Amino acid sequence: MTAPASNPLLSDRDVDFQLYEVLDTESLCQLPAFADHSRETFTLFLDSTRRFARDVLLPTYRLMDTEPPSFRDGRIHVHPLMRKLYPQLVELGLLSATHPVEAGGQQLPITVYSLASAYLMAANLSAYGFIGLTTGAAHLIQAFGSPWLKDEFMSRMYRGEWTGTMALTEPQAGSSLADVKTRATPVGDGTYRITGSKIFISGGDQDFTENVVHLTLARIDGAPAGTRGLSLFAVPSRRPEDGRLVDNDVRVAGAIHKIGWKGLPSLALNYGEGGDCRGWLVGEAGKGLAHMFQMMNEARIMVGLNGVATASVAYQEALAYAQNRPQGRPAWEKDAARPQRPIIEHADVRRMLLRQKAIVEGGLSLLAVASWHADVAAHGKTEEERRRAGLLLDLLTPLAKTFPAEKGFEANALAVQVHGGYGYSSEYLPEAYLRDQKLNSIHEGTTGIQGLDLLGRKVMAAGGEAMKAFTEEVGATVERARKAGVEPAWGEALNRALQEVVELTMELGAAGMAGEVERMLRHSADYMELFSVLAVSWRWLVQAAAAREGLARGGEGRDFYEGKLAAAQYWLNTELPRVTHLVALCRSGEDSYTRMRPEWF
Amino acid sequence: MKILVTAKRVEDPESKIKVKPDGSGIVQEGLKYKINPFDEIGVEEGLRLVAKHGGEVVVVSIGGKEVQEQLRHALAMGATRAVWVNHTGPLDQMGVAGLLQKVAEKEKPDLVILGKQAIDDDQNQVGQYLAEFLGWGQATFASKVESLESEQEKNKVPALQMGADNKSVRVVREVDNGLATLECALPAVVTTDLRLNLPRYASLPGIMKAKSKPIEELTPAKLSVDVTPKVQVLKMASPPPRKAGIKVPDVATLVDKLRNEAKVV
Repeated sequence: MTAPASNPLLSDRDVDFQLYEVLDTESLCQLPAFADHSRETFTLFLDSTRRFARDVLLPTYRLMDTEPPSFRDGRIHVHPLMRKLYPQLVELGLLSATHPVEAGGQQLPITVYSLASAYLMAANLSAYGFIGLTTGAAHLIQAFGSPWLKDEFMSRMYRGEWTGTMALTEPQAGSSLADVKTRATPVGDGTYRITGSKIFISGGDQDFTENVVHLTLARIDGAPAGTRGLSLFAVPSRRPEDGRLVDNDVRVAGAIHKIGWKGLPSLALNYGEGGDCRGWLVGEAGKGLAHMFQMMNEARIMVGLNGVATASVAYQEALAYAQNRPQGRPAWEKDAARPQRPIIEHADVRRMLLRQKAIVEGGLSLLAVASWHADVAAHGKTEEERRRAGLLLDLLTPLAKTFPAEKGFEANALAVQVHGGYGYSSEYLPEAYLRDQKLNSIHEGTTGIQGLDLLGRKVMAAGGEAMKAFTEEVGATVERARKAGVEPAWGEALNRALQEVVELTMELGAAGMAGEVERMLRHSADYMELFSVLAVSWRWLVQAAAAREGLARGGEGRDFYEGKLAAAQYWLNTELPRVTHLVALCRSGEDSYTRMRPEWF
Repeated sequence: MKILVTAKRVEDPESKIKVKPDGSGIVQEGLKYKINPFDEIGVEEGLRLVAKHGGEVVVVSIGGKEVQEQLRHALAMGATRAVWVNHTGPLDQMGVAGLLQKVAEKEKPDLVILGKQAIDDDQNQVGQYLAEFLGWGQATFASKVESLESEQEKNKVPALQMGADNKSVRVVREVDNGLATLECALPAVVTTDLRLNLPRYASLPGIMKAKSKPIEELTPAKLSVDVTPKVQVLKMASPPPRKAGIKVPDVATLVDKLRNEAKVV
């Protein structure tokens, strides 16, 4: 009845474990915003998305990877499969799933949506990319746009009739958005004439819907330099005029030849070459970046999920390969006539698989808890609860974006490695996932930017309140693990590492206050690394606790829990100790690369 | 028109199914369940028929409280309402057909669609019993045929097509030597084969709407059906594991083994 075993994308058992054993996602239904939901609706939605991902999206992945969009006659032609896939993705209800009923949504908790969408990303990240971009862009209009924009643009985007993009980057202004030059000139009728160039605009054109709306950062004439002068505009490729759509003078200047995410075009766009490009202001003039930032947190969580999903699908590929590929015999087997054994029986292969498992499931747990705080931050019962969750979400966001991107890349490399020589060929899928993964450390704020954000902004936020809330969360986990009967040394090690990080953070904060900004931020990359290891250790301790609780309940499913405990042991014994070393490095004054002069290279 | 469709709760074939050591059944713990895939095809076909001809799909399941999950699944796909026959004891194929007969007599559908079999015990009997109990025509193993779009296809018919007056149904069936077309007066019983359609994925808006759709509770007693099984399950056992194969040096040895050991030629 069922198709031959193919890649499950993510472990269903693990997703259920994260939702209902590590977290208590059902308890979110006690919040008024989620009162219409229950475990039953969550299960039905997860079932639909994971089946759609496996049955429909996964078989299209390689086709879209090998046949990227083409640029002909000034237009982008995406893979013809998108004509079928996009309406089906829309039909599932993904575009407005988490949004309020008034906005046509279903008020699904982000926690559930995140884990469900991870399946779609793992199956075909490019196809899902159009959905992610459109929902992000439509959400900006929902949050800040005029009623007219909501009627004319947002509702069409949510219905799947138009798609959307985030148009921030310019050739000279990527990480440095303060340098955005695109101009907006008031026309006099409330609209603006837009002129300028954008680059790396994902989904900037396509031929499966009639229009694309670009949420564009531009500078109104006379606005100050820097980020304070930026405003947000909705700029459609075709604009409504007298009840029909006319060309809005947004030209595709070229398509980037990417090494991954090949199904999703990344474009250079020129606005107003013919002097006839109109934009509509979204929100307040001069608040463009602030408005954009609200969505950027969402987008960063989505990038983190993509990182986990891309690492997961490759891990599942490697796991199946290792179980089936016979090669070699145990070192103590002397008889060469004996049949060869599956490579999973070799300890070093299990090391590589366990490392992938630890990264994938640790990352998924981090994304799940960040999503949880996003739900509570938006819909928690009290002001205090919402505020605290918001601080935790802000703190966790750079980690949830960066850990899966950086360590996910390592996991993806291990998936290639497990496949040996075959892994280095395009006959097998892991090479494609490795190419896809690399983007996640670059887009939506590079790892370098995330490190500066974490150390320079997030851990110092609200006079250390975010850090205090994080410390409390870790404390509660250590207590839960102790009660569940988890190896006490693990909780103690986590506590010690946390203490070290808290002290380091105070020192670096003090250095910053004393004006030594360079010394404070010198090791921001190491700080990001050590905080990621710490945060994922926290997620592994809580998973160990939930696994112990599961084992104590008895019955079937012991293997799953034993696997969790082994992965927790692996992470807490081999990764957590690195925190001490990295803390020492941040303190040491080690200054080789800051002292290094360009001419010395 | 009204279409009654079954939605049996079955073990998810992707879970590990183990027989209890005493052979009295299978280990339920840790198993996942789903709607019988053949029934899911039936729900889809019912929805497509009412989309074309108007009417409603009523979905029915028999079992404990947990079968409501499968009913909700069918409601989320688009069925209008559900009937739940609350019964937790043992039940054989005649018991199931007897209960469905009463539900059908009560609901008076134009068509009852069932999966040709359930993937748990693969019996393939209930549809046939039900047609007999009701005294209706039956068309089993309904399969899929090409669309009617081209001239050439016009003489062919889709798998399930209502007669012009909605009084009959034409069904293309998969049989051993090809396809057979039957025309049946309504009301009738149809059972679905694998290739009839590809069931839709329940959408999130559909899932939320399903919450407020009614599920009517009935019992064998309310339906006046005696469900005492006539079939007795003595013991369940896993099939013996397959033995490892051997390599033979040449064709002669192969023929010899087939003739003298396997005794198949």
